[in-house]
Amino acid sequence: MANRILIVDDAAFMRMMIKDILTKNGFSVVGEASDGVQAVEKFKELNPDLVTMDITMPEMDGISAVKEIKKIDSNAKIIMCSAMGQQAMVIDAIQAGAKDFIVKPFQADRVLEAINKVIG
Amino acid sequence: MEMNQYLDMFLEESKEHLQSINDHLLVLENKPSSMDEVNEIFRSAHTLKGMAATMGFEDMAKLTHEMENVLDQVKSGKMAIRPDIMDIIFQCVDILEGMVYSISENGDGRFDVSEAVNGLRRILKGETASTQAIGDSAQNEDPIAQEEIPFDEYEMTVLKQSIESGYSALWIKTTVRNDCVLKAARAYMVYNSLESVGEIIKCIPSVEELEEEKFDKSFDLVILTHKSEEELKKIVLNVSEIDSAEIRTIDLKSEAKENKKEEHEQSLQSPKASDQSSANGNLPVTGDSTNGQKKHTTSKTIRVDIERLDVLMNLFSELVIDRGRLDQLAKELLNGPLSETVEHMNRITGDLQNIILNMRMIPVEQVFNRFPRMVRDLSRELQKNLTLQIEGAETELDRTLIDEIGDPLVHLLRNSIDHGVESPEERKKAGKPEMGTILLKAFHSGNHVFIEVKDDGRGINRAKVLKKAIEKGIVSEQQSSSLTDKQVYDLLFSAGFSTAEKLSDISGRGVGLDVVKTKIEVLGGAVSVDSVPGKGTTFLIQLPLTLSIISSMLVDVGSEIFAVPLSSIIETAVFDKGQIMRAHQQDVIDFRGKVVPLVYLDRIFQISEEFTAHKEQISVLIIRKGDKMAGLVVDSFIGQQEIVLKSLGRYLGNVFAVSGATILGNGKVALIVDCNQLIK
Repeated sequence: MANRILIVDDAAFMRMMIKDILTKNGFSVVGEASDGVQAVEKFKELNPDLVTMDITMPEMDGISAVKEIKKIDSNAKIIMCSAMGQQAMVIDAIQAGAKDFIVKPFQADRVLEAINKVIG
Repeated sequence: MEMNQYLDMFLEESKEHLQSINDHLLVLENKPSSMDEVNEIFRSAHTLKGMAATMGFEDMAKLTHEMENVLDQVKSGKMAIRPDIMDIIFQCVDILEGMVYSISENGDGRFDVSEAVNGLRRILKGETASTQAIGDSAQNEDPIAQEEIPFDEYEMTVLKQSIESGYSALWIKTTVRNDCVLKAARAYMVYNSLESVGEIIKCIPSVEELEEEKFDKSFDLVILTHKSEEELKKIVLNVSEIDSAEIRTIDLKSEAKENKKEEHEQSLQSPKASDQSSANGNLPVTGDSTNGQKKHTTSKTIRVDIERLDVLMNLFSELVIDRGRLDQLAKELLNGPLSETVEHMNRITGDLQNIILNMRMIPVEQVFNRFPRMVRDLSRELQKNLTLQIEGAETELDRTLIDEIGDPLVHLLRNSIDHGVESPEERKKAGKPEMGTILLKAFHSGNHVFIEVKDDGRGINRAKVLKKAIEKGIVSEQQSSSLTDKQVYDLLFSAGFSTAEKLSDISGRGVGLDVVKTKIEVLGGAVSVDSVPGKGTTFLIQLPLTLSIISSMLVDVGSEIFAVPLSSIIETAVFDKGQIMRAHQQDVIDFRGKVVPLVYLDRIFQISEEFTAHKEQISVLIIRKGDKMAGLVVDSFIGQQEIVLKSLGRYLGNVFAVSGATILGNGKVALIVDCNQLIK
């Protein structure tokens, strides 16, 4: 069965890009969320195998969302999506329990590598 | 990419720092004990390192880091400046310049720095650069064989105890991928995942440095764990964007031995450590001081993108055209208030023009700066004793000229060094001081800037020049005897002329001074040469202050209007037809006792209307080029006007005797006459 993935990003464009990459490579995107609060709700609702999480978002940022999700499921697999120059935030997110990160602009092979490593 | 917005500033500042390093190195070479210079160089290298690392130019950061290490040794008095140190640092600066150049050309700034780095490291180890062997550098390439992790006493104890209690101590060298972004986060992930399986007792560079991304591509960790090498390797490689992980079990016995050796080398290791600490310690200090400096300058100047100034200049040029139109309209309408306003506007735009032109002025220092270094290198290469004196470096020139004048000057300087100044022995024989002098001098005069390149060498050999010129068929034997010295010297600028007996790579590459001359003439300037045998040679370059707005004389020829730059006009005069004489099958006139040939503009530009026939008098512009004069026959003079020089564009590159066009007040286009081409 294809791995079920939840995409979290406030930019529809970015969500579309990741979705594109993932669906083309046999993953199934089960949901999308555009902020941290939504992300937590969707996570509860869908219980996906993996979450890709943007860092900078309205309402609740990616790092807080990671913490919330980890409270729900300590084994949740989350990959951060970061822009360059967000080094400190990335480290925070990993401390909070994110498994890996990918850097914008996304390259398909990087995204897949990270996801496969985390899921594998 | 977010860094791109800083790239310009990075390049700008890097160039400044490299220039400063170069300058101070040259001073240092003459005063090897001057600590001020060392400090300045160190500071610049350090700043460069920081900037390069931030921008991700790793090779550059690596090289500056090694430079810093060596300089730190010198700074702390552990090492004296020696010629070989100077040489290698000069070499490094060259490499850095190459990198900066490559980056500015949209390159990636990558460069194989291993040789220079090894050279620097050898100096650090106390060897002289001359003892370098290739095999040696090859060994240094292999990091595992060479790099040993130094443990302090505490770490040794911990290691010993843990190994006794069944842990294995593993040394892990992790290398991130070349294209890895956010290296620090990756390093953190590696650190994090390793920490879950054992205890990390040592980390090189330190954890703090790792987090600040102060490492190149790889970092070292020592971990105490129950896991096997393979297991650890898997853990590390499971982090994305990791290129490789090398793992080795630390053997305490050999380590202990090495430790002893290290103690032996303590004096060598400690400076490295102290360098790191001092680098850290210095960081805020230098940061503060540069900040302070910036604050100081920002209150007085702002940096403006040069392109904006170009745009401003272009817009202003358009304004000048409109001013011309308004001027003409006011004259036609004869309306008092309008004329007054136009008059006022003329004054204001005049002031504005001055200000804009001034804004574009840059001291020639910018160009001159790189010459001391060049002269030094060349004189070493040719084994000549030389000093370069620079005067008037503060003289200002239009930026476009600054960009263009560099190459011709390099050529002239090389020429002086190669052909002008004699070898020390020769100079001694001639009773001159062994040290030759080249004077590079810039000064303002009227609407021009002059740049003089003067050497105290052997001067130009008239006979040799003539012989060569005859050989090349530039002059005939008959002509040669009647030529004045000045005319003979000017032969140097003829195309295809090169007096060097054999071509050297310094100043003779088939291209000669004629290239210099063409270049300078394209810039609207002139170059001349004067020489006293045995005493030296002087090249004089004359340049206009600015290129884009010129004062000119507008003249009528038939139905066309032409603009003649005022800079080449000596006088305007009106002659009776009867005064025209014939000589050498050419019309000439007697102008103040001189015979001046006449050039009919209507014939040159093939304007059909016959106008001279039914007139009793002709209007003549006396124009000059160097010492030569000519009379330009036109229909009538219109008047003097500031015009904006517009190029004819690429498709009309080589139009005879036309240097460009301008738009007149009435909207018509007038061609600008290039007088230099009219006089042979």
